Amino acid sequence: MAMIDEPLYPIAILIDELKNEDIQLRLNSIRRLSTIARALGEERTRKELIPFLSENNDDDDEVLLAMAEELGVFIPYVGGVEYAHVLLPPLETLCTVEETCVRDKAVESLCRIGVQMKENYLVDWFVPLVKRLAAGEWFTARVSSCGLFHIAYPSAPDQLKAELRSIYSQLCQDDMPMVRRAAASNLGKFAATVEQSYLKAEIMSIFDDLTQDDQDSVRLLAVESCAALGKLLEPLDCVAHILPVIVNFSQDKSWRVRYMVANQLYELCEAVGPEPTRVDLVPAYVRLLRDNEAEVRIAAAGKVTKFCRILGPQLPIQHILPCVKELSSDSSQHVRSALASVIMGMAPVLGKDATIDQLLPIFLSLLKDEFPDVRLNIISKLDQVNQVIGIDLLSQSLLPAIVELAEDRHWRVRLAIIEYIPLLASQLGVGFFDDKLGTLCMQWLEDKVFSIRDAAANNLKRLAEEFGPEWAMQHIIPQVLDKISNPHYLYRMTILQAISLLAPVLGVDITCQKLLPVVIASSKDRVPNIKFNVAKVLQSLVPILDQSVVENTIRPCLIELSEDPDVDVRYFANQALQASDQVMMSS
Amino acid sequence: MWKQFLSKLPRRSSKSDSACDSAHNHPGSNASPSGNSIQRASSGNAGPGRSTTVKRMSSAVFPSSVVAGIEPLLSFKDVPNAEKQNLVISKLNLCSAVFDFSDPNKNSAEKDMKRQTLLDLVYFFNSGTPRFTEPMISASCRMFAINLFRVFPPNYRTNSSSGGETEEEEPIFDPAWSHLQLVYELLLKFIASSSLDAKLGKKYIDHSFILRLLELFDSEDPRERDCLKTILHRIYGKFMVHRPFIRKAVSNIFYRFVFETDRHNGIAELLEVFGSVITGFALPLKEEHKIFLWKVLIPLHKPKSVGVYLQQLTYCVTQFMEKEPKLASSVIRGLLKYWPVTNSQKEVMFLSELEEVLEATNTVEFQKCMVPLFRRIGYCVNSSHFQVAERALFFWNNDHVISLVAQNRQAIVPLIFPALEKNSRSHWNQAVLNLTMNVRKMLSEMDEELFLACQRKLEEEEERREAVEEKRKMTWERLESAAAFQPVTGNTAVLVRPVMTPPMAATLT
Repeated sequence: MAMIDEPLYPIAILIDELKNEDIQLRLNSIRRLSTIARALGEERTRKELIPFLSENNDDDDEVLLAMAEELGVFIPYVGGVEYAHVLLPPLETLCTVEETCVRDKAVESLCRIGVQMKENYLVDWFVPLVKRLAAGEWFTARVSSCGLFHIAYPSAPDQLKAELRSIYSQLCQDDMPMVRRAAASNLGKFAATVEQSYLKAEIMSIFDDLTQDDQDSVRLLAVESCAALGKLLEPLDCVAHILPVIVNFSQDKSWRVRYMVANQLYELCEAVGPEPTRVDLVPAYVRLLRDNEAEVRIAAAGKVTKFCRILGPQLPIQHILPCVKELSSDSSQHVRSALASVIMGMAPVLGKDATIDQLLPIFLSLLKDEFPDVRLNIISKLDQVNQVIGIDLLSQSLLPAIVELAEDRHWRVRLAIIEYIPLLASQLGVGFFDDKLGTLCMQWLEDKVFSIRDAAANNLKRLAEEFGPEWAMQHIIPQVLDKISNPHYLYRMTILQAISLLAPVLGVDITCQKLLPVVIASSKDRVPNIKFNVAKVLQSLVPILDQSVVENTIRPCLIELSEDPDVDVRYFANQALQASDQVMMSS
Repeated sequence: MWKQFLSKLPRRSSKSDSACDSAHNHPGSNASPSGNSIQRASSGNAGPGRSTTVKRMSSAVFPSSVVAGIEPLLSFKDVPNAEKQNLVISKLNLCSAVFDFSDPNKNSAEKDMKRQTLLDLVYFFNSGTPRFTEPMISASCRMFAINLFRVFPPNYRTNSSSGGETEEEEPIFDPAWSHLQLVYELLLKFIASSSLDAKLGKKYIDHSFILRLLELFDSEDPRERDCLKTILHRIYGKFMVHRPFIRKAVSNIFYRFVFETDRHNGIAELLEVFGSVITGFALPLKEEHKIFLWKVLIPLHKPKSVGVYLQQLTYCVTQFMEKEPKLASSVIRGLLKYWPVTNSQKEVMFLSELEEVLEATNTVEFQKCMVPLFRRIGYCVNSSHFQVAERALFFWNNDHVISLVAQNRQAIVPLIFPALEKNSRSHWNQAVLNLTMNVRKMLSEMDEELFLACQRKLEEEEERREAVEEKRKMTWERLESAAAFQPVTGNTAVLVRPVMTPPMAATLT
């Protein structure tokens, strides 16, 4: 190529590439902006590249998104934090585009840059930017501005602070609900930077306005900031200002609002202190647990453990447990499922006696639930209850539940229960496991669904890790190796997979004596897929076996396979041979 | 300008207070001429024991009771004319009790009574009454609000199913429809009635009322949305003062749908109303309306459920273009901006809309956007989804499109030729192959010289392609090494390699 001597014009290259009709090329060049910047040097990056980017923002949203992201980490290329402010103009423009993803990314990058900027630069450059966006003509700019106040505010002098607060308050009353929503959802972040005195005087009145907004969607976001604000205020103020609001919200006519409250309520308990919790929050929570709308009960049920953990043992036994009992036979399976996924966590909170008296019957009824998810959720958290009352009390009901799930007609349910087998094994102990669950584990190796067979092989490995090689030799290996004579090649493949997983756990001796012969024998299989899988397994065994074994057993077998009539078998055999060469050389 | 315009509008719900006041003051004076005002303190829940059946009363902006003083169950024909107004109010108050329909056996007697009363009212509204008095309007609006403005239950459907038209969803029907239907009928009669004076009515059909009516468009029940559509249309027609507000509020619904939630059940219905609103725009179009086209209608092409409302959307867009042909190129550019690249089903729909838009595009506008347009059509012609390729090739069945292409062939044929060539060499689908050959033939007959030139150019380009690729690689490599050897200035000493998260300390030296 003759152009080696041509001088390089990095900007020209970029401009050229950004003109290309292929979006992939444009994206690639934006992704390599830092290269161009380094080639240009800091000064020319500031004076040429960044202004060019500020103007070139008419591209596809995908390209703009990439640009917004790159600029967020661009400070070093413009000469460090001293010059960080030159990056603001292109990002400011990106804050105003239509596409939400691009705007969000631009705001994120601005925040990232803002936290690094020095105070006086923030005041000179960042604050004016926020003010400009907040006064933007189109709502996109105003929406973006809401996410920047918490960066701009702390470094501003008092007068500017007052101005920023009043601008934020205006945004909360904006004509467009989009802007009010953005302001509501960023209120918590902004409030965290505002001084206590203004918090009470100004932020709380903004908050009050938002909580009375006529748009459902705005009030919804105001609920979100309840917890955040509550944590910022002194307990007394929190009781005075936040508590009435949240109690009110918990009876809102919109179920979405109540749903939000149900999700958040526990976070306020600490902020308001024990007495108001008992008097106001617990009754509100109980109401939500008994809400008409299943969606709200799902949210409330999902938080029952977190709530009880804060309350201590007494209040839950009195007030919450009766509701929990009701929920365990709720008409909605999703409510029961949400409850089942957290209820085990209540055992440590309530202590042994209450757990046995009150929770155990609920566990048992959930374990017999007609909906598999509910049963699964109980089983998945078994360890939590085991610590409190021991597993014996449950094991009677547990086994039928497990067996039923193990044979469920939905493979995803079977898969889920396999995932929990090692946990169950460790909780139930070897004895119980051998008697009841061992056969199940073998059965799964011959499941009709690949994912189940795959998980079954992996499960054997985890069991071997849990109970040790000797146990495995007795209880797993013979059965597994038997299955290598299965007439269907897919099942034989599963066994090979299991062998390759078990070998590292069981150690050199067992592998050489028991496993390797089976693998070698399979190299004579009539199905090519088995043969190339033999090659793959042998390759995985090379690093863990002695060199002599590799030399005398594995390599001859691989060499034979490398002359197989099937092209794939030859390919994988050669791969394995090469890999074994490398291992030999390095050792 | 748009913003200024909006800021002049009164803010939300500021009307409700005045509505309350007036309603409290007037009833007495209006009711007295009837001479027969039995002072009975009957409230909204007239019958005995009915208060327990009221499930939820909307926190209405309307006064909680308008004293009518007459037994609501009387029939209209049994009372003298002078008494009729009070009877209406009394019946309206009775209908302000809302029943729980989740259990069909609960309160069935009361439900029947309410239904009968609603039918009475419909009959009365139909029979051409004298002008509605203010207490009547107030009581009506209150009844509408209490019955209609409710929060919809959660949607238990899977979120994935908002795709195209092929997955026909079973519509969900509101169990309370037997009452709702009559209330909607009444509302429609009420709004449309010549007895309703718009000046008086707008005190009650205020911003807050309209806003909440618009929220109902998200209903799962198609019957409800259909009623709402007609009613909104009538309100827009009758209350001139509310027109800007309605346009703004509906825009807000669209914005939220496009930019935030991606879910709304009533977009098609709202667009249908807007179709006739746009038809009524005066010429020349106001800037505000053009902004609606660019900032609302065009982005509405983005959501993945566009198939559900595309027909209505296309109608709105073409209405704009009929009013103002100069908008064509910006519409086409908008479509290209939101072009679906991974959803073939949507792509076929876009191509159909594009063809419709092109039908209404003149040469001048066409020339402003033909290059990116035909680049996109070229990609579609090459699509491996045969329906997309087919749909794109069908453009050459359209006489208007052909004439536009013929006039601008020097620009278009070079863009489209490589795509046709690629298809004829390697497209898998026979139908696409045949269509491609037809178009090729048509283009070569249109201008053989140009066609041959394109062929030569393509061959040259193919020869050069590898070299261009190689050159690009080299350029970037050189750039990379130039970047690595760039003299290191004090501040960025650590930046020999690209750094993802710059260490802050690096710049403090």
